[in-house]
Amino acid sequence: MSLTAGSRPDGSRPPAAVEEPTAAVVTAVVKDRVPGKAGRAGKVPFRVRLRRDRALILMTLPVIVLLLLFNYVPLLGNVVAFQEYDPYVSTNGVTAIFHSPWVGVEQFSRMLDDPLFWDATQNTIVLFLLQLVLFFPIPIALALVINSVIRPRVRAVAQAIMYLPHFFSWVLVVTVFQQIFGGAGIIAQTLEQHGWSGFDLMTNADLFKYLVTAQAVWKDAGWGIIVFLAALAAVSTDLYEAAAMDGAGRWRRMWHVTLPALRPVIALLLVLRVGDALSVGFEQFLLQRSAVGAGASEVLDTYVWNMGIQNGDFSYAAAVGLAKGVIGVCLVLGANKFAHLLGEQGVYKK
Amino acid sequence: MTPNAASASSGPSRRSFLASTAVATAAVAGGMPLLSACGGSDGGSRDGTTSGKDADKLLPTFVASAVAKPDLPSKNGSAAGYTSKVDLAALSASVPEKLGTGAPFKIMSPFWGSPPKAGNAYYKALDAAAGTKVTWQNQDGNTYGEKLGAVLASSSIPDMVVVPGWELVGKIANAVTAKFMDLGPYLAGDKVKKYPNLAAIPSDAWRMGIFGGALRGIPMPGAPASWIVPYYRKDIFDQKGYSVPKSADEFLSWAKEATSAKAKVWACGDMNWTAWGIFGVRGSGTVGWDIGDDGKLTYRVEQPEYLEALEWTRKLFDAGVVHPDDKARSGDAGNRFTAGQILVFNSDMSAWYGKTAEQAASNPDFVIEGMDIFGADGGDPTLWASQPAGIWSLIRKGASKETVENALAAANFAAAPYGTKERMLVDYGVEGTHYTVKGGVPVKNDLGNSEVVNAWVMLAAPAAYFAHPDFPDVARKQVEWQQRMGAFMKKTSTFGMNIVEPSRYANLSSQFEQLEIDYVRGNKKLSDVQQAISTWKSSGGDKLRDWYKELIEKNGSGN
Repeated sequence: MSLTAGSRPDGSRPPAAVEEPTAAVVTAVVKDRVPGKAGRAGKVPFRVRLRRDRALILMTLPVIVLLLLFNYVPLLGNVVAFQEYDPYVSTNGVTAIFHSPWVGVEQFSRMLDDPLFWDATQNTIVLFLLQLVLFFPIPIALALVINSVIRPRVRAVAQAIMYLPHFFSWVLVVTVFQQIFGGAGIIAQTLEQHGWSGFDLMTNADLFKYLVTAQAVWKDAGWGIIVFLAALAAVSTDLYEAAAMDGAGRWRRMWHVTLPALRPVIALLLVLRVGDALSVGFEQFLLQRSAVGAGASEVLDTYVWNMGIQNGDFSYAAAVGLAKGVIGVCLVLGANKFAHLLGEQGVYKK
Repeated sequence: MTPNAASASSGPSRRSFLASTAVATAAVAGGMPLLSACGGSDGGSRDGTTSGKDADKLLPTFVASAVAKPDLPSKNGSAAGYTSKVDLAALSASVPEKLGTGAPFKIMSPFWGSPPKAGNAYYKALDAAAGTKVTWQNQDGNTYGEKLGAVLASSSIPDMVVVPGWELVGKIANAVTAKFMDLGPYLAGDKVKKYPNLAAIPSDAWRMGIFGGALRGIPMPGAPASWIVPYYRKDIFDQKGYSVPKSADEFLSWAKEATSAKAKVWACGDMNWTAWGIFGVRGSGTVGWDIGDDGKLTYRVEQPEYLEALEWTRKLFDAGVVHPDDKARSGDAGNRFTAGQILVFNSDMSAWYGKTAEQAASNPDFVIEGMDIFGADGGDPTLWASQPAGIWSLIRKGASKETVENALAAANFAAAPYGTKERMLVDYGVEGTHYTVKGGVPVKNDLGNSEVVNAWVMLAAPAAYFAHPDFPDVARKQVEWQQRMGAFMKKTSTFGMNIVEPSRYANLSSQFEQLEIDYVRGNKKLSDVQQAISTWKSSGGDKLRDWYKELIEKNGSGN
């Protein structure tokens, strides 16, 4: 946050030696051979920094434009949450905002009184917690296993097999599950041949939350190991050797060397995941909505979609989406704070 | 010629069962809220309807077509049928001179399947013949509503847009009046005679094209006697010695007998749409309203039969006679039917020909037959008439005179009656390129099957008919089924009127479809449905009733 020197609340200029970023800046400045006072302490004029970093800035520009265009500009549309928006009242959907009546927080109070909204919220939270417990640790475990495989060939094959389902669309994933676990699927048919009938995992509303978590694990756990493998690759083999010399066995090495190396990455991903807690998936739930009923499958994202896109009730959908966004921000801040308390960096630091 | 989108209910029915957000029956029958203040113009209110003399003033003069006479004329609200061989060498021309000027314009239309490339041989041939230059914006038919909603809210609406009635939900119905032009100056009265094929579209269908007090929609006529058909595998029924069920209870006991999960055979798919017919439940949307014998105006969910139909369907699910994939709403029931995994499934009229043609080569034993819809107790059913048109093409407000005339030229070409060169070109493409003639019967080749699909047939159509030169018997059976069922047809008080509900009620009934799906599968309780009905009443249903009462008093009843 304080990459700009001099932004301390008390306005004092910190000594150059103390503040890391400034030290980095100094090096960079020296490299760029910017003469004079800029090199002295923390205060680097904006123009100088602009010129110094222009290559980097130019490189980020396309992404920033995309971000502005597709993430920030549409955010302005959230004002319809405070309206009774009718997209057809004017010549186009944007000018229609200026012609739609303002209703204050009516959409939000409607949301609080809406049992369907609370159902969706409850499903979302339950699924998030399940995913946290049942999904999140799996890529870490898989990464450790893969990492312990020495033969590159075996390793490559195992990795490829684990990545593959990530590239399947949800339609395909659901269809595959239907063919295996459905009432007319392989398992049900096999059981039928042996006299047990009635097996149908795909339409069981009570088990649905485990089913979707299993689907998510199958599809994405393999993909999730990539970042952990990268972190593991960065661990110096010297550490393992030193630990082994000191008599540390396999488990001790993992406990004292490997896991501490992974800790910052785990903390970062955990913070990100918690910030995204209210997004547990979309297509997956939309596709299986009718199999188990909306009562079990409705999550906040599908609820917003149904209300807005399906029913054309844009203002209400925007209100729900906005509420979800605000809660998400609070969760990120909270989780980040928690990471700091544990001594990790989190997503950002002060 | 082939399953022609125009004929009867095939248009709406093409919507994939998988993605349905609107029950096809509802699509055909209902779900088309419409429009306007009585006799108003552009500035007028967007909700209401126009009927009687006010409507007649807006309509084009009817001039019957004199081309081919159907062997099976329409009766009891059925489509007409052509079953005798057509002399392909002696087709007449219904569009003797090109009406288009060749100026380019854009059409957005729903498309089921993979659209062919722009500038393909079929589009080129049609453009050349009609004198038009169309840029097609084909959009996935299964998610067309989402696209349509966004396009109508943009400032660049294509010149011509095809709007299926089942997409007129939420605020879209109101948008139609606001965004599309009054075609009266081009078509009202005798002006339509410039476009003889449009003049031959029946007035009942044209009346459905009145939105917001003005004639805006060019209709695709449908037969009122169009319902979802419960199809059964006649070959398997004969082989197993099953007799066709004649009551709701008989169906259930037959279904239990026929199901054998071990052999991977289930009696049926999801029969909810058929249940509406068996129990006499009206369609959703405006045709859901009717004044009963007791003088009370009710909506479909208030009919006692509504719950009965749902309970019966649930019994089928509970008994395990419905294929598990249908329970999970996964895959295509039509494929399970042809594979013999289910013996009964419901679909629209077009499946009769579609499945017959599809299976003819690979599965010669396959016989599909439509079951007569029985009354729940085994007596006569009550079948509610479908609206005389449920798909329109509309031209955007602000289009130039030349664009309008070109669009009308395209629609006029697409509405060519059976037995004309134009119809042949629209349905089969170019001889030698898209089809060959074998034994006097045109047969599409691969290119024909990939290019001659949707598009032009969506623009307009002649009065509903069935004609399948390769399977004339299917056309006869389709017409006969409609005529038998049409004998039990009743019209609702809202029949024949294009009604647009006020937008404040737009989402009032939106919860019912999912609730029905969930209830019959055992994922909701009966009390949940009853609760939804009473919520519906208190949160606007009763007020909507008053609105309909006034509307019917003002416009007269449709039945």
